[in-house]
Amino acid sequence: MTTTPPGPRARLTGGVLLWYGVLGGAVAWAVHVLAAWGLDELACAAGSDRVLAMPLGRVVGLAVIVPALVTAGSLAVAALAWRRTARAQATGTQDRAYGRSRMLAVVGVWVNLLFLTIIVLGGVAVLVLPPCQL
Amino acid sequence: MVTTSTPPGVSRVDLARLTEHWAEPRSLRGWFSTVDHKRIGRRYLVTAGVFFVLAGLSALAMRTQLARPEAGLLSPEEYNQLFTMHGTAMIFLFATPMLFGFGNYLVPLMIGARDMAFPRLNAFGYWVFLFAGLFMWASLPFGAAPNSGWFAYAPLNSEQHNPGLHMDVYALGLLFLGISTTAASINFIVTALKLRAPGMSLNRVPLFVWAIVATAFMVIFALPALNLDNAMLFLDRRFDTHFFDPSAGGNVLLWQHLFWIFGHPDVYIIVMPGLGIVSAVLPAFTRRGVVGYPLIVLSIVAIAIISFGVWVHHMFATGLPQLSYSFFSAASTIITIPSGLQIFAWLATMLLGRLIIRVPLLFVVGFIVTFVLGGVTGTMFALTAFDQQVTDTYFVVAHFHYVLIGGAVFPMLAGIYYWLPKITGRMYHEGLGRWAFWLVFAGMHVTFFPMHLYGLFGMPRRVYTYASEPGWGGWNLVSTIGSYVLALGLLLVLVGVVHAVRRGRPAPPDPWRADTLEWATTSPPEPYNFPVLPRVHSLHPVWDERTAESTGEGATADRILSEGRNTLLTSELDARVERPVPMPESTLKPLVLAAALLVLFAALLVAWYPVAAVAAVVVAATIAVWLWPAGPSRTSGVATP
Repeated sequence: MTTTPPGPRARLTGGVLLWYGVLGGAVAWAVHVLAAWGLDELACAAGSDRVLAMPLGRVVGLAVIVPALVTAGSLAVAALAWRRTARAQATGTQDRAYGRSRMLAVVGVWVNLLFLTIIVLGGVAVLVLPPCQL
Repeated sequence: MVTTSTPPGVSRVDLARLTEHWAEPRSLRGWFSTVDHKRIGRRYLVTAGVFFVLAGLSALAMRTQLARPEAGLLSPEEYNQLFTMHGTAMIFLFATPMLFGFGNYLVPLMIGARDMAFPRLNAFGYWVFLFAGLFMWASLPFGAAPNSGWFAYAPLNSEQHNPGLHMDVYALGLLFLGISTTAASINFIVTALKLRAPGMSLNRVPLFVWAIVATAFMVIFALPALNLDNAMLFLDRRFDTHFFDPSAGGNVLLWQHLFWIFGHPDVYIIVMPGLGIVSAVLPAFTRRGVVGYPLIVLSIVAIAIISFGVWVHHMFATGLPQLSYSFFSAASTIITIPSGLQIFAWLATMLLGRLIIRVPLLFVVGFIVTFVLGGVTGTMFALTAFDQQVTDTYFVVAHFHYVLIGGAVFPMLAGIYYWLPKITGRMYHEGLGRWAFWLVFAGMHVTFFPMHLYGLFGMPRRVYTYASEPGWGGWNLVSTIGSYVLALGLLLVLVGVVHAVRRGRPAPPDPWRADTLEWATTSPPEPYNFPVLPRVHSLHPVWDERTAESTGEGATADRILSEGRNTLLTSELDARVERPVPMPESTLKPLVLAAALLVLFAALLVAWYPVAAVAAVVVAATIAVWLWPAGPSRTSGVATP
């Protein structure tokens, strides 16, 4: 039971935004790995170093930077959800949805840190290696 | 020992009704038609155990052949078949089904439900697993067993290089088996999301259930790649398509990519429930909850996702652009973080708790030692340069046996000893169990540790014999001796189980003073599991007084549900009560459908296409009869699922 009704800001800790905070990094990393690998692999196999008139290295770089930014956003949302559920619990809310949201927020913070690290570690090679070097 | 007195909070009338509604016919027909998740779970455990023995005997034959150089115990063809069946059976017919057996038996009990969400689908999954296993093993006495390794690389698997039925058995057998694995996975997901006891919100779900659900999702996403691979292989072999034939525009790397997109997540599909078992066993033997519950959930979720982005590390020697390697090298390295996080959480739990050293805890400690060693060499493979040096040597064989025996077999053995009192109602013999542990532990390390060394010395894997000059003979002899010690240890486990069933002293409902809901009911549980479906108030419901009260004086009619064969449907995230749902009675339809599928696959194997067509019609008709809308339930007005 809820002893105090949740405010509009606290309600942001549930629903689609929370799921973005939990799984946004995972989806962004999946897109990154498939896009970056696929572009590199297919373009090199076709003997080309350009995709849609852009240099392949730059395209692969975008496939690193954009997902990294999405993951950073997801991390921020998870951290925000974590703070808000902490505040709601401090005000004495008994609703078990807050406990569940808080756990998902903790999971989101750590999992997004993990995915951001993978994207950055894999992406560093874009600066060092030419795209089609075997 | 089954408690026969009336539990508090339930009237004799309610108990009699529950017994009547959930009773199963005590006849041969009843045996074949059961849909009870506990009986099906036990069958999974026993059947997978039998396939494990067969695969283990294959391994002993191979180790005997490899004990000395240039041995002639097995011919190359016999070795190839035993080697392939060993790997295929251990991965597909033992590890996953064994863990699904634990899941089948335990998930409904752990979440406070009366059965799986789809009991008939559950029975169907078991029968398909049994028939697919028999389908594959039956090929061995005819000399027609698969013979290209469990990974069946193209072009070794092609009709041109591998004539005969060998790889047709492989492709069709795995396609057949995939039906079972998919059905079981769907069932686990729906059961865990929709049938949790009231109050069991996501942050109160037992870690074993989290692990099983994550595994089920992984199966759903990973298995289609393997099914696609096998379907294309069958078409290539039987109908002259050219998916994997480079001379006609096909690509052999396509097989590898699709196989490992399935194959690497499959390692975690096998290990993940094992990690769940460890998280379930530890609280009972440390007298405290596992440290860092949200972080273990995090690592389960993270491992499940990242495992899909590491498949290319199996292909580091195939010549891809270096930039591509970096993405997969990073993911393969980082996956050690969530894995390590769980290890540290378990160590912290043992450090902060009060250790009660019994056989299940010994196997957990054995798991930690072995799995960490396997994980360390796994991290080495994430480094492209090292991987290219040792790939296809015995170093790899050592690594994956450390991971799979450490990560799955040790937890399974811990689970067998831990839940044996619940499943059989009998306690095991502690002395026998300890002997079994030390023999298994010593045998495992004596067998597989030397493989790191002779792998580094250059011995290739997948060879049926080797010359004496490189000096691998001594190390191989040690491995072979170790394998016999390991087999002796596993035999003692079997002796221990039989001893417990026949002579073990009766087990109380909760011999370990554990924390999860399966211990809140009788040993073994009644067919309806719980006379009162509990209301959960914490992560450790059996240690929580309010949950205990909910099944005693606080029992209410809406959680007894004695008017029919019912369980409670609850919401996915917070387990709020939605409505009672009726559960199906025993039926022969799952068995008939699985048998029709067996005829279909057997007819395809021997190219009796008219028979296959008839079997396909029978399959379709059985499915139609199965799905034909049932009349409204007499008790609730809701159609039977």
